[in-house]
Amino acid sequence: MSLGPFAESRALSMGVELELQIVNLHDFDLSPGSSDLLRLVGRRTLPGLVTPEITDSMIELCTGVCTSHAEVLGQLTEIRDALVQCAAQLNLGLCGGGTHPFQHWSERRIYDTPRFHQVAELYGYLSKQFTIFGQHVHIGCPSPDQALLLLHGLSRFIPHLIALSASSPFVQGTDTGFHSARLNSVFAFPLSGRAPFVLTWDAFQTYFDKMACTGVVKSMKDFYWDIRPKPEYGTIEVRVLDTPLTIEKAAAMAALVQCLARWISMDRPFDPTEDDYLPYTFNRFQACRFGLEGTFVDPKTGEHRTLREDITTTLAALAPHATALHAGAAIALLRGELAGMGNDATWIRAVAEREQLLPEVVRQQCQRWAGPAP
Amino acid sequence: MIDDFAAYLQIVPWPMQADVVFWSALMLVAGGSLGETVFRRAGLPRIVGYSAVGMLIAVLNQGASSHYLIGVVRVIVDLALGLLLFELGSRVNLRWLRANPALLCTSLAEAIFSFLAVFAALRWLGLSLNVALACATLTLATSAAVIGRVSSELHSAGQVTERMVIMTALNTLIAVLLHKLVIAWLHLDTVGDWMAAITQPLYTFGGSFLVAALLRGLVAWIARRLNLRDENSVLLLLGLLLLALTVARMLNLSTLLVPLLAGVLLRNTSVRPWVWPRHFGTAGGVLVLMLFVIVGASWSVQALALGGVAALVLLLTRSLVKAVVMAAGAHWSGISLRQSMALTLALSPISGTALVLLADLQISHPVFATQVEPVVFSAIAIMELLGPVVVQWALRMASELPGHSASNGKGMQP
Repeated sequence: MSLGPFAESRALSMGVELELQIVNLHDFDLSPGSSDLLRLVGRRTLPGLVTPEITDSMIELCTGVCTSHAEVLGQLTEIRDALVQCAAQLNLGLCGGGTHPFQHWSERRIYDTPRFHQVAELYGYLSKQFTIFGQHVHIGCPSPDQALLLLHGLSRFIPHLIALSASSPFVQGTDTGFHSARLNSVFAFPLSGRAPFVLTWDAFQTYFDKMACTGVVKSMKDFYWDIRPKPEYGTIEVRVLDTPLTIEKAAAMAALVQCLARWISMDRPFDPTEDDYLPYTFNRFQACRFGLEGTFVDPKTGEHRTLREDITTTLAALAPHATALHAGAAIALLRGELAGMGNDATWIRAVAEREQLLPEVVRQQCQRWAGPAP
Repeated sequence: MIDDFAAYLQIVPWPMQADVVFWSALMLVAGGSLGETVFRRAGLPRIVGYSAVGMLIAVLNQGASSHYLIGVVRVIVDLALGLLLFELGSRVNLRWLRANPALLCTSLAEAIFSFLAVFAALRWLGLSLNVALACATLTLATSAAVIGRVSSELHSAGQVTERMVIMTALNTLIAVLLHKLVIAWLHLDTVGDWMAAITQPLYTFGGSFLVAALLRGLVAWIARRLNLRDENSVLLLLGLLLLALTVARMLNLSTLLVPLLAGVLLRNTSVRPWVWPRHFGTAGGVLVLMLFVIVGASWSVQALALGGVAALVLLLTRSLVKAVVMAAGAHWSGISLRQSMALTLALSPISGTALVLLADLQISHPVFATQVEPVVFSAIAIMELLGPVVVQWALRMASELPGHSASNGKGMQP
């Protein structure tokens, strides 16, 4: 199978995908409800799409193609409100968070489609451990070469995005010590990691063809990279974010990626090189494990500082782009989090510490997801 | 010779006498092993095995006496059913009924129309007004014991599971209220005592609500201080529940209403989730096993001969009406037609609740009760083994059992 042409898309347009947890309202464990939820949501007209995910206690929503933070937030609000109403009709709860804090993976059921069953057959227990919930952000690129340039430029900020969005400290009832334990599950997949360092679409095509020849991959879907090109949409897709606990945070993270993309493609603050990837896995681990307090090794200078410091510097550099993209509110929200509690993982830990009951933590996550009562 | 030997070994009394403890132990062994056998060999819920032991006991005794549910047997049934009703009640989320009014309407319609249809069908069969009224009331409720036990044993989850729980809680509530009104009506009919007809149901409802509220308060108070998943706190919880049920019995309140309402109150007066082991761990499990053996032993061949046909008509009418109501409300309340059919099946079991209501009728109107017994005993007997199997079937049909949909994808290597 070939890669296909790189579709045209408007520069810096964006789309957001969010994977959500479906829980019952008795003990707040994951609950199989995606087909019931899809049936009810299907009766409404919404912007974007709501689709099933690999196990039937997950559901995915995505926005249409948006140009601004406000538009993303508007669409997310509309879809969220509809989903929350439908879930209430079914006695189900919906929440964000990169992992469910106490679900048992062996009890998960694979959603009934051929592709999901194929994946389940191939990866065995990994596919059920893949009951994890992420946010994907698509950024439109005018040409495939620019897409690759943007992809490798954004790689520098993968640790920043992980640390800010991390919301998965608990796995199967235990505090993992990580801020994003979800990504540990992703890293277990053989084709996870980063894209090869090529800067032209022709070179990328050659790489893909060689991989396809080995029979290891059939389509781009088989790569679980942190950022990957999506030729059908003409976008690059950032995949490292944990699903945040609120849609406001989700929209802010999308806007942050958009601002970064504008900065990287217009100002060219640094030239991407293969050597940028030398501290890549170290930085990524630090972000997953320690969140904002993790160490960040500057790939150009080798300097060490905390992610919190580098994020603050980055946000300052983004200010003109945030103004140009009308994303001021999004950046302000992220600054507020930096100054206040930190990321969602810290919030989850604090609630777990106070309540001493993980189902109660999930209940409060549902409350935050549903937003203020209308 | 043997007598002398026994005397030498100081075995007194001789010949040996088997007491209640001996028979109870035997019941546990037989129920436990048959339950496990049907579970492993036939893949059926364990309670099928427990009930089968009960039915066997009834055959060996050549039919249970009609005044069966008295003394220690009644105590066991009250306690076991109380546990299951408390658990059921604690899963009833009243906010759900507000968010989905169609569900509330279907649930009410299901209870009321099956009551009316069963009443009409029994009248058509030639039963007297009062007998038809009593039979329709006693068989209104779905067996909380059967659905609760089957769903937790099979770890089912989904819309059919959720809805059968809330609908059973609702139709049990309606059945108990209606039952008290029927008893009041019978009072009026036989002794013409207006005062008793009005004050007695009021006392039962009000008193049961108060005891339930008290129980709810105590449980919540304990839960704030202890971890409910801890074995010792579960024992404490079990003790409280048993105490409340005993008080209810001593005050002549409803042993069905108290635990059910306490569960509902607990669930709906606090947003914090309650987590405790199902059936209150092992101690509760023993009671539940004995409940099914006892209910299983309540039938007799004579009763089946007398009331079998009426019971069959009753059960068919009941299921037919449920099917129509569920199908009519399916789209509106947000489930598929297939799920509504599964729900109809899941609501069909009749067991402990009907037996307890019948026992109360036997106490208040012993003579009249003899006319009701054959039909109710037969309905219980027919659904005894069938009920759990049908519920399991329904849950499988709705794909709500673990590993169900995953098994469809075998042999699809990429």
